[in-house]
Parts: sequence; C-alpha cells; structure tokens
Amino acid sequence: MSAIETGTSQRPGLAALVERFPFLPALVILLALLALNGWFQPNSLGFRAITGLISTYLALMMLSVAQTYVVYAGDVDLSVGAILSLVNCVIIVLMERWGGGGIAVLMACALGILTGLACGLLNGFVVAVLRLQAIVATFATSIFFTGIALYVLPVAGTPAPTIYWRTYGGRFFEIPFVFYVVAALAIVLVMATRARLTTQMLAVGDDAFKAFQGGLPVTAIRLKGYMLCGVFSALAALCITGDTASGDPLVGGAMTLYSVAAVVLGGTALSGGRGSVVGSVLGALIIGLISSLVFYVGTPSQWQNLVQGLAILLALMLGVMVTRRVQR
Amino acid sequence: MSNLTIRGARKAYGATVALRRGDLDLREGEVHVLIGSNGSGKSTLCKIVSGSVRPDAGEVLIDGKTVSIDGPRAARALGLATFYQELSLAAHRTVAENISLPELPGKGGFFVDRERLNGIAERYIRRFADVAGEGFSADARVEHLREDQRQLVEIMKTLATEAPILIFDEPTSSLDRSQVERFFEVLRELKAQGRAIIFISHRMDEIFAIGDRVTVIRDGETVGTSLISETKPASIIHQMVGESELAVTNGAPPAAAEVKTEAVLSVAGLSAKGFVNVSFEVRRGEILGFGGLHGQGQSAVLRSIFGVNPTDQGTIHIKGEKRTIRSPREAIRCGLAYISGDRGRDGVVHGRPILENVTPIHFLRNKLSLVRPGSLRERAAKPLSALKTRFAGYDQPVNALSGGNQQKIVIARWLIDRPDVLLLDDPTKGIDLQAKTDLFALIRSLAAEGMGIVLYSSEDAELLANADRILVFNSGSVSRELTGADRTRYNLYHAAYEAA
Repeated sequence: MSAIETGTSQRPGLAALVERFPFLPALVILLALLALNGWFQPNSLGFRAITGLISTYLALMMLSVAQTYVVYAGDVDLSVGAILSLVNCVIIVLMERWGGGGIAVLMACALGILTGLACGLLNGFVVAVLRLQAIVATFATSIFFTGIALYVLPVAGTPAPTIYWRTYGGRFFEIPFVFYVVAALAIVLVMATRARLTTQMLAVGDDAFKAFQGGLPVTAIRLKGYMLCGVFSALAALCITGDTASGDPLVGGAMTLYSVAAVVLGGTALSGGRGSVVGSVLGALIIGLISSLVFYVGTPSQWQNLVQGLAILLALMLGVMVTRRVQR
Repeated sequence: MSNLTIRGARKAYGATVALRRGDLDLREGEVHVLIGSNGSGKSTLCKIVSGSVRPDAGEVLIDGKTVSIDGPRAARALGLATFYQELSLAAHRTVAENISLPELPGKGGFFVDRERLNGIAERYIRRFADVAGEGFSADARVEHLREDQRQLVEIMKTLATEAPILIFDEPTSSLDRSQVERFFEVLRELKAQGRAIIFISHRMDEIFAIGDRVTVIRDGETVGTSLISETKPASIIHQMVGESELAVTNGAPPAAAEVKTEAVLSVAGLSAKGFVNVSFEVRRGEILGFGGLHGQGQSAVLRSIFGVNPTDQGTIHIKGEKRTIRSPREAIRCGLAYISGDRGRDGVVHGRPILENVTPIHFLRNKLSLVRPGSLRERAAKPLSALKTRFAGYDQPVNALSGGNQQKIVIARWLIDRPDVLLLDDPTKGIDLQAKTDLFALIRSLAAEGMGIVLYSSEDAELLANADRILVFNSGSVSRELTGADRTRYNLYHAAYEAA
C-alpha cells in the first residue's frame, strides 16, 4: 500500500489534515474560546463549571448531530427544534401519568424516541419521497409538530419526576452522569463514521443525480437520514428535559437555527457531501462557550444578544476562511 | 454470460423524437460499437439500457427473456453496468469508495469493511497503476484528480461491478494513448471471459482497434450492423450520412459569401480547460462555423474568448488590436457579443420585463445610469421588430414568451449598439423551426452589414446550410477546416470521427 501514502503526501500537510479532519478549525476556535473564558473567569475552567456547561449544551450537541445527518445528504431539517419540543412534552406527560417511577421513566423515554423516529419518518417521506423542497417542507412540519406539542401539553410548567432530573444532574462513581452520556455519544459517533450509510449519504450529498445513476437507492438513503435526525432530536429532548426538569411545548423553537449554525461552524458543507459529526458537536460547544464568554466579560444585559451574534459571526468567518484557504 | 437484444425502442420528449426505432443485438464475447452523429439517438439507446430513461415502446430482452428496466438499480440487478459519459462519481469521496459504490463491502451489515474496500480498489487500480499518473491512489479524493484520472475511476467502478453486460459511453474521451491501450487490453480480457460490451467512441481508429461489430444509428433509427473486419471507416460514415443526403449535399453546398475584408477577430494558439492550441480568423461579412461532435471544445473556445472562462495561453486580436479579456464586461467593451443556447443560464433575466431584458448591454456600452423609459423603448423597438418578435408589451415579464421569442429578446439586446463580432454558442437549442429560420436570415444580414460571426451549432444541418467555412473540432483541437465545395455532411463526419 505504498501508493496510498504517496497519494496523500502530495497535498500540503495542513491541507491534507483539514481535509481528513474537517473539524480541526472548529477545534482550534474551541480551544481559543476555552482560553478566553479562563482568562476572564478562572473558575470557568473548573470541573463544576465545565459540568454545568455540558449539561446545558448537551441538548444542542445532540440536535446538531441530528442536523448533520440530513445535511450530509444535501438536505436540511428546520423541524428539529419542534421535534425536540414535542418529545419533551410527550415524555413529561407520560411520566406524570404513569406515576414517575423508574420503569415509567424508561418506558416514557423509549416512547419519546419512537416519537422522534416517527417525526423523522414523516419529514423524510415529505422531502425524499414526495420531493418537496426540504427548507419549506420541514418548516411546515415544524409548525405541525409544534401544534401537536401544544395539544399534548397546552401550558408549560409540568415538572419532571425527581428521579429523572436527579439522575441527569447526578453523579455515578464521582463522575457526573452527563459525562457518561458524552462518552457514549462519542463512541456512537466514531462508530457511525465507519458506517456504510454515512458514506452513502455523503455520496448522495455530493451529487444526488450522479448517485442515482450510479445505482444508489437515493430516496431510501435520504429517508434514513431524516429518521436518524428524528432519533437524535428525541435524544436531545431527553437531555433538555433533564436540564430544565419540566415540559414546555415551545422549548426547542429557537434551537433549530442554532443547530444549523453549529453544523456549519463544525466544518460541514450545507451543500452536502462533506463534513463530520464531531465538528457539529464542537460547533455546539463553541456556541455555548460564546454565550458564557459574553457573560463573563461582563457585557451589559441589553447588549448581550448583539455581542453574542457578532461573536458567532466572527467564529463562522474564521472557520470558513481557514477551510477555504486550505482547499485552494 | 448474457446476450442483450433491443427491438424497436422508441423515446420521445414532448414533440421531439429522440429515438424512433432503436434495434441492437449484443452477443456475449463481443465488443459492439455504437456509432451515430450528434442527436442520432445513441445516448438515448444507452440510457434505456442503463435504466435512466424508460422507453415509450419497444422491448429489451436478456437471453431471450423480456425484461423491464425500471431504473439504474434494476439495471444492475439484471447484470448491466454503465460507464456514464458525464461520470457518476462522488467528488469528495476517495477513489476506493467510488470504485465500490453503491455496493460498499460491509462488516456486520452496518460498517464499511475498510480492508475489503481497499482490497477491491487495489485489484482494479493495479491494472492501471503504471498509466494512471501522479497522485492516483486508493485514498486520493476524486476532486483532486485530473479529468483523465476521473475517467479511469469511472472505468474501474464499471469493471468492479463484474457485470456480464458492460456499456461504455465515451470512456476514452480524456484518456491518453497509453491509458487507452491499457483499457483495450482489459476489454480484450473481458471479451475472452464472455462478457458483452457496448462501446461508444468518437475516434475511428479506436473503433477499428477494439470493435467486433458496429451498429450505425441515423436520425433515431438503427441503420444496420456490420462486422468491423468487413467494413471500413468510409463506409461507416456513408451509413451515418445516408444515401439520399450524400446525393443532395455532394451536388452543391450553399454558396459561401464573398469575403475579402480584414480579419475582425483573430485568435492564435489559444489554450484553456477543454481545448488546446486553437487558432482562427474571422473576417467581416463571414460566418465561421464550429462543428464536430458535442463537447469537443467548441463552447469552451467561445466562452474563453468572451472572458467567461479563463485562458491559459494564446492571443486575441480584435480589429487588429491585441486584447486581453478577463471578464465578459471587458469583452463587451471590446465589441464582442455572445449568445448562448442555454438561455436560462446565460441569457434571460428571469421574471423581469422585456424592456429590461433588451437594454442591459446598451446601458453598459454607453455607461448609462438614468434613462427615460420612453427613449429606451424607441431604441428597443427597432431590433425587436427586425427580429419579428411577438410580445404584448415592454412591461410583460420575459418568462411569458416562448423559447424562440425569448432568444430573440436576448439577440435584440446586442443589436441596439452593433458589436463587431457575434459569438453564437449553439443558439437554436430548443427553439421552433420558424424562429430558427428568422434567426439565420438575421445572422446572414448582419454578416452582410459587416459583422464577423462565429457559429457553433450541434445540429450539423444548420451548420452546413449557414456557415461559409467550418472548423471541425475533435478532442479540443481543430482537426480540419472545410471550405467551399468540401462543406458536405460526409466530410463533416469524416473529420469529426478522425477517420483516416
């Protein structure tokens, strides 16, 4: 296999590295943000603060992973936030109705994931089978899902059972529960990059018509992307339920576009065909760190949105510039 | 191993019949050449076999059994694999992944088996390793490969299916000599294994080097099949042209206009992506034709001259002055005009009123910023009526017009301020017969008024009827110039196929 090595060494080292690991620029930005956070508030790099950051942003990490799987194939899903809200309401109501015991919680979670899967299936059917425009179609389904969420739980505020949020915020063997979740997520994502489906989705994202001519089952692959997206959106809902400990039919609305931003920050091309889920996770963390940095710097509350927006814009520009420079 | 038979295949797109009666009889252990001029229907026939086009009528039989090919996947399941002229590769995936797609070797049903993936890739790369050139390896990404290397990947991908019936639609158009020879060695081995192979090429020498039988298609109909060993290039071209056509055009090609004036555009040694070392001159009053098969560099030359695509080498003189053109704006200021057959991409400003669609060049050439609509209408009226454009009002959106009338609007835009050179890039694509007649009458009168005109047309009849001289393109360079009485269909095909 000596031919293989000569092939990659022909491209300059950094370019080859970024091409192989498209999330590298995001990783650098993330480390820089961590350093800045530490500079302004040394406590923010402490164990407790990092745990807090992860429990708050685990949901966005999951949601960004969900988004990545449809973006791989050149699609987009503007209903991930609505799916998250719906699943949040479904499990809250089920857990309350079933008494809030351990078994009830597990059953509710399983049903919540099935709900996410069903939502993804509907999205996939509308976009891949009926071939409606992904942006408009998933925007419509997002309104539909929000409608169901409002029917399931008309008013925000029903609390989650104590066992649920205590587990999410608790520790096992001195290690916070969310760290186990992150570890599990990492293992799943690394495994997923080796999956046949991932390569097939990326091939579809490169050029759907060529993929079709080449004999790939394009419709089925896009459908599977949306189903995966639904499942990860549901997992995101489980996380947010643990973090907020209550049900809210509108909790996810604002998170949809954050997930798209995280995907792009992570170095994935919105046109499809190129990217990584790891990058999306880093992108979600970048968004989280920017919010906390804005707070630590002591920005007056009325300016926080403005500064946060500018900072995200800056991070996006840096990432895109590095990627573009390297690809020339 | 299998035999493939196609009987009476027919395919129409709206009113245009792409394939009238396609017949083909492919036997195991042969390389069967399919040949026909532009738009003769050979690609449609291939697409029917590969499953990307469904025939309106006719039947396809494999080993005597009627089959229905519902799509590319169904074709694969039936043992048919296709090399696509436009390639079916994923640019951001590696060579190894592309070779195995869509059937990636699996491990536990879920994961890609990297070892087997690389093993499969190595097996096919090995055959071409010494001719593939620098940077070609199993884990190189297709986006970084040269055009010929991508074509090799598509070849390997087709071979990796190990299908009994293989269809190669112009697999050698970018390959160099040694790559073609290696590919032919592989084809001969496959033939010996009893595979059935359809081969399309525009190089006559290749056809005679590898083919066993040849089927000629003309005007959407299969004309006949003959043994390569019993035929010769000239008689194949005779079949492509047809007896009646030969009799007519051999008699008298249309008289060429008398042109003795100075060259208005002269191009020397022009090279860029898609063509090499192209030189020619256009005189005032002359219509210079670009001919040959599709995509041999004709459009690329025109687009490079007009500054749409960058040029690597060569010089351009306009009215005797040397010019460097880096953008269409500069080209327009130099007195060039470019009209593309792809109106949607290059011509029409969608959804905007007719007046706005007629006047942008006028604005640019006169550096206008504010104009009274009334005076603009006056200026627009003359070219529009000269072109017999039918429209309800200047405020009507341009999309409301038919294709032919839209193209007239695009042409009219260049006629308010007359350019010196008109570059026509397959301008009659998708417009009706009457509009075509009007268009060519206009082009002739523009030439008579002293404009120099370059006309690329993919319809050979148009070219023969209207061009005073024809440059025939083959693989990105001019293979022959046809003048005077030489401008016959026979000579055109002869040059296009580089028949010896």
